[in-house]
Amino acid sequence: MRRFFFMRTAVGRGLMFGAGGVHLAVVGVLLMLHNRSIIVDTLSLGQATLVMLGVAAGAVALPERLSPDRGAQLAAGAVAGLAAAAPIALLAVAIGTIRLQSIFVALTPDLLKLLTSDLGLGWGSALLLGGGLLAGLIGAALRVCPPAIRSTLIAAVTAVILAGVFEELIQLMLQYEGPIGAVRDTLYVWNGLTPLGAVIVFVVAAAVHQAWAIFGRHRGTAPDEGQLRRQRMIRAGVALLVLAIMPVLAGAYIGQVLMLVGLYILMGMGLNLEVGLAGLLDLGFVAFFAVGAYTTALLTADSPHALLHLGFWMAMPVSVVLAVLVGVVFGLPVLGVRGDYLAVATMGLGEIVRVLVLSDFAAPLLGGAQGVLQIPKPRLGDVVLGSPVQLFYVTLVASGVAAFVAWRLENSRLGRAWMALRDDEDVAQALGINLVRSKLLAYGLGAAFAGLAGSIFATMLTSVYPSSFQLLISINVLALIIVGGMGSLPGVVLGSIVLIGLPELLREFGEYRYLFYGAALIVMMQWRPEGLWPSEVRRRELHAGETTAELDQGADLLPAEPR
Amino acid sequence: MARHALAMALAPVALLLGMQIAAAATVGPVTDPIGVIRIPKGAPVMIGAYMVLSGPDTALGEDEERAIKIGVNNVGGKLLGHPIALDFEDDQCDAEGGQTAATKLASTPNMVIALGPACSSSATPAAPILWQAGITDIGTACTAPALTAPDRKPEYDGFVRTVYSDNDQGASDADYLYKAEGYKTAVTVHDGSPYAEQLVTVFGNDYEKLGGKVLSKEAVAPTDVDMHPLLTRIASEKPDVVYFPIFTAAAAQILRQSKEVPGLEHTAFFGGSALLSADFIQAAGPAVVGFRIGYPDISASAMGKGYPKFVAEYKKDYGEGPISGYHANAYDAFTLAYKAIMKVAKTDKAGNLYIGRKALRDAVFATKFEGISGPIACDAYGECSQFHGTVLQFTSADPKTFGVGKNPIKIWPK
Amino acid sequence: MSATAIDRGPWLTALARINAVDIVLWALRIGVLLVVVVGTINELIKDPYTAAQWFDFLMFGLTLGSIYAQIALGYTMVYGVLRLINFAHGDFMMCGAFAGYFVATPLENSGFLDTHPVAGMAAILAVAIVVSTTIALLTERIAYRPFRRAGGLAPLICAIGVSFFLEQTFRGMFGSDVKAYPSPSWQRSAFQFGSLQIPRVDALVIVLAVLFMGLLYLIVQRTRMGTAMRATSEDPEAAALMGIDVNKVVVFTFILGGAMAGIAGVFYAFVYKQVYFYMGFEPGVKAFGAAVLGGIGNIPGAMLGGFFLGLVESIGPSVFLDGLGIPAPYQLRDLIAFTLLIMVLIFRPQGLLGERMAKKRA
Repeated sequence: MRRFFFMRTAVGRGLMFGAGGVHLAVVGVLLMLHNRSIIVDTLSLGQATLVMLGVAAGAVALPERLSPDRGAQLAAGAVAGLAAAAPIALLAVAIGTIRLQSIFVALTPDLLKLLTSDLGLGWGSALLLGGGLLAGLIGAALRVCPPAIRSTLIAAVTAVILAGVFEELIQLMLQYEGPIGAVRDTLYVWNGLTPLGAVIVFVVAAAVHQAWAIFGRHRGTAPDEGQLRRQRMIRAGVALLVLAIMPVLAGAYIGQVLMLVGLYILMGMGLNLEVGLAGLLDLGFVAFFAVGAYTTALLTADSPHALLHLGFWMAMPVSVVLAVLVGVVFGLPVLGVRGDYLAVATMGLGEIVRVLVLSDFAAPLLGGAQGVLQIPKPRLGDVVLGSPVQLFYVTLVASGVAAFVAWRLENSRLGRAWMALRDDEDVAQALGINLVRSKLLAYGLGAAFAGLAGSIFATMLTSVYPSSFQLLISINVLALIIVGGMGSLPGVVLGSIVLIGLPELLREFGEYRYLFYGAALIVMMQWRPEGLWPSEVRRRELHAGETTAELDQGADLLPAEPR
Repeated sequence: MARHALAMALAPVALLLGMQIAAAATVGPVTDPIGVIRIPKGAPVMIGAYMVLSGPDTALGEDEERAIKIGVNNVGGKLLGHPIALDFEDDQCDAEGGQTAATKLASTPNMVIALGPACSSSATPAAPILWQAGITDIGTACTAPALTAPDRKPEYDGFVRTVYSDNDQGASDADYLYKAEGYKTAVTVHDGSPYAEQLVTVFGNDYEKLGGKVLSKEAVAPTDVDMHPLLTRIASEKPDVVYFPIFTAAAAQILRQSKEVPGLEHTAFFGGSALLSADFIQAAGPAVVGFRIGYPDISASAMGKGYPKFVAEYKKDYGEGPISGYHANAYDAFTLAYKAIMKVAKTDKAGNLYIGRKALRDAVFATKFEGISGPIACDAYGECSQFHGTVLQFTSADPKTFGVGKNPIKIWPK
Repeated sequence: MSATAIDRGPWLTALARINAVDIVLWALRIGVLLVVVVGTINELIKDPYTAAQWFDFLMFGLTLGSIYAQIALGYTMVYGVLRLINFAHGDFMMCGAFAGYFVATPLENSGFLDTHPVAGMAAILAVAIVVSTTIALLTERIAYRPFRRAGGLAPLICAIGVSFFLEQTFRGMFGSDVKAYPSPSWQRSAFQFGSLQIPRVDALVIVLAVLFMGLLYLIVQRTRMGTAMRATSEDPEAAALMGIDVNKVVVFTFILGGAMAGIAGVFYAFVYKQVYFYMGFEPGVKAFGAAVLGGIGNIPGAMLGGFFLGLVESIGPSVFLDGLGIPAPYQLRDLIAFTLLIMVLIFRPQGLLGERMAKKRA
């Protein structure tokens, strides 16, 4: 009986992965992944994805709480893998027999070739099913084998995949002649790893991982809370240093990407003040960004629209001040609106700004659809800070200043007032906190950060177009502070790298960026709502809530009244 | 502590390294005031391209991508013994995309020349970035007048294009509508895109110079769906023609709904060059029959002699005819690049290739040939293409009958 | 004497309590009012439109409004029961429209739709309803159920994530181009009443929308599940104590809302003909505004709000924006919708017909 139940669970879970695979195929992601090879002519990202679906299905086939034995695990893993492969095989058969491409544009013959490994329907489906079984078995085996081996294997495989996927970036960083060039040539061909390269990366990664683990074990006792925190700080510091030096090593393109990341970090810190600290859900944040950008544009541009022709360093403070003013003006009417409604109201305000900036009505001042062009780059004496790398360092400095300000604010009286506001407005007011002042300060200061970011953005692009200021930017910023960790500055940095930097690097997936985005948001909110690097306070809050929630759910556990 | 000091020391070094000063150089047999590209023996010649490859206007960029690939095939995929490597970037038809694409291309080592883009809003920030790295940019479908205007800034010195300027398109449309058709009053509609807004401004100026009157200048958003109020208002102004050179979705709505709004029965509707696709026919439905658009002349008689052969090759390679209207310009852009590189590249005894950047730019400006889109000869400001305006008219509402020259057919000049 | 002293008291205290915020809010009210009134008066003086054209504005507005109303119903029901703004609701509509497209096109090509209008429409609507409802239920199960007890930002962000996910999935599946609904012969012409005319498709949509909404109202008022829904909407804990299975109620709500969205999608597509993956977002946001305008959680309110918004969008730019001499007023049409939304959220969050659900209690 237990066996049957196990099998049923395994099949169910496997089918879910299979459905996921079908979804990826039908949406066209699978084929796109296939075009990116990890190991040239041998393994593509698409094939790796299919295999991983099977492995994952096998690994989670049976939940821990059923405490199955090893044999059952392996069997369940195999079954789950098979169940994962079945829908995909069915899809392959369907594509092969029915002319589905007229409706579902992604079901091309190339996709069929991928799914069946170009072996025709019969053998191809058999291979899929067999492969799924095997993959599931491997997944389950990974689950039951000792943790040391498992983590090493996973680390090594991950290293190979990363080396393959980010090959362009890595090759860019290794673009020197001599010994480094020789390393690069052994590992890579122009569009992927060589088989030899893959093996080398695998072995090296496994060795490094093992060495790290052994080193850790030799440390002795587990570190305490204080030591842990220091370790994290050191790690963060090193990471930041690496980030700061990378553009020099890796070239202008990385500088450009990192600059974009930096701008979003700036904005994220601003929104963090509003949402993370003060609990004011602002979806119209892009409006402040636009104000900063347009002010800088109108004050410095070399075009008939410009009001003055100042330098960047003069225009920037003006942009920030103006952004603060606009923030306060926006905040005033919506002081009394709360919660979800505030989100929608601010979204409306943001959209109003966008429509105005694009309109013919405001065109005499703001340039309308043509935007404002010919914005000069900043000058430091004789030096024009023109290249992305230089502007990146400007952004870095600005972020540093902003981070300092944000950090001080968090621990100040105002910061605490904000946190009280976030928890409960009425109680905060009863405690004597001036709601109006606190809220307006939140809007204003958040807007200041966005205005600064907008100012740098304008000079980076040398032109501002209205199409750059869409609702999507507000949502991006909100998503990155949530995914990164609300109320936490390292979280903002991490969120920005993950949600802004990665998609920029993986630009060929540009079309599907928002698909992953949406999925990432859904998954993050359910699995880790406090974010990837949450502030201590937040983590405690959110997980404390869980115990009370469980108690609250007692209502559901009571038997219903008989009708 | 040590880390601090290291960081402090590295910072100014970083600043220095970051500056991309294109400096005068002598490398191998070539001396050049901007810089020299050295391609080792056997290494590929990198040609970059950036255009819109995603989103609703994908057909535009994809068409060009295919044309460029055909161009490479036609020269055997090689240039002076080195293989040609193409690097396509997606600029998403907007300024940020253009900037990122250009930065990526500019930071790729040994990038010789860049082709594209298709959208003027992405060319505007991109061309200066490329030129600062010494890379000449040959535009393929970006038609904004400012890009090749006599008063363009020095940052654009490296930019030329094998496509016409909208100054000419607007003038031609005004000519047709006022002189040939006798429409005395017009209403213009743009959709907030820099291309459309600029074009209606140019058109309006030319139209009024000829003696016509622009009753009002309207605007919609590209995602607008309900055009009835706008059309009713236009109906109340009773213009002779409505000029709306906008993109597919909104244009199809206007066209369709114009049949449902009373008062517009005697008003003509005239569209622009973004509407030459089967997608537009499908979106507009039965209202598309008899609809006219202004377009550069791409009929067989106006195109270069090599055009029909190109179309045949296109059909063979991709199983369908050209999907948009700027393939010929893209092909010619590649040919221009190829000829210019051939002119200035020098090979040394070891088989390495050297190309001077400024010399390449000058060669691009100086090269003249008969392209498949017409004669290519660049003026001092980068305008290399000649413009002949025509008017095309759609004949059927069945998207399967789409074909350049068939549906729509050319109706002017006769 | 003392009476006068007491009389003056409340006035003075009221005067003293005015602060900057109040001034700003009053300025806002007056500003918007001025824009509307002055613009309208100017336009009426200019009087460029004939009676037939005014009637057209009205009809177009009602058509758009009926679609907004149907979408708003879904928003309002879900918010009432879950206190969640379902950002993905507009995308349910898009899913329904797509599903209907793949039925409508072969039906039209084979001529069936022309000869059997009722059966054809029924088939299209049925498929659209099934698809949009299924997606709604899946969304509820996967994305919203874990948040049943939690509040705050997480459900909202999750909803935004679902919205992106659905849009991109449909884009990947069906392409990013615009698909056009067929135009069967019985939809093409217009009904004439003297000098006034209504396109047939508009009249059809308005009538059918009202019918479906009436049906929904009956379901909610008269059936057991409908009553359970209303009870849960008012007080979920009390409802649970009364023996109502909240899960079932939520599922039922999503079924109703999803079905309405699917129907709205098909109607929208028949009127505006274009179907593409992003079509649901804007109508969704505006419909939310309509729902809030009418009173969130209030079904007749949502219908009222929807029609009102449709009319304002249709008549607004032509009347008061144009009256103020603004160039290209149609570009600013979204401005009107959003300003309306913001004004409602600031000054009357309970909407025209609703109760005070806007201020969250501690």
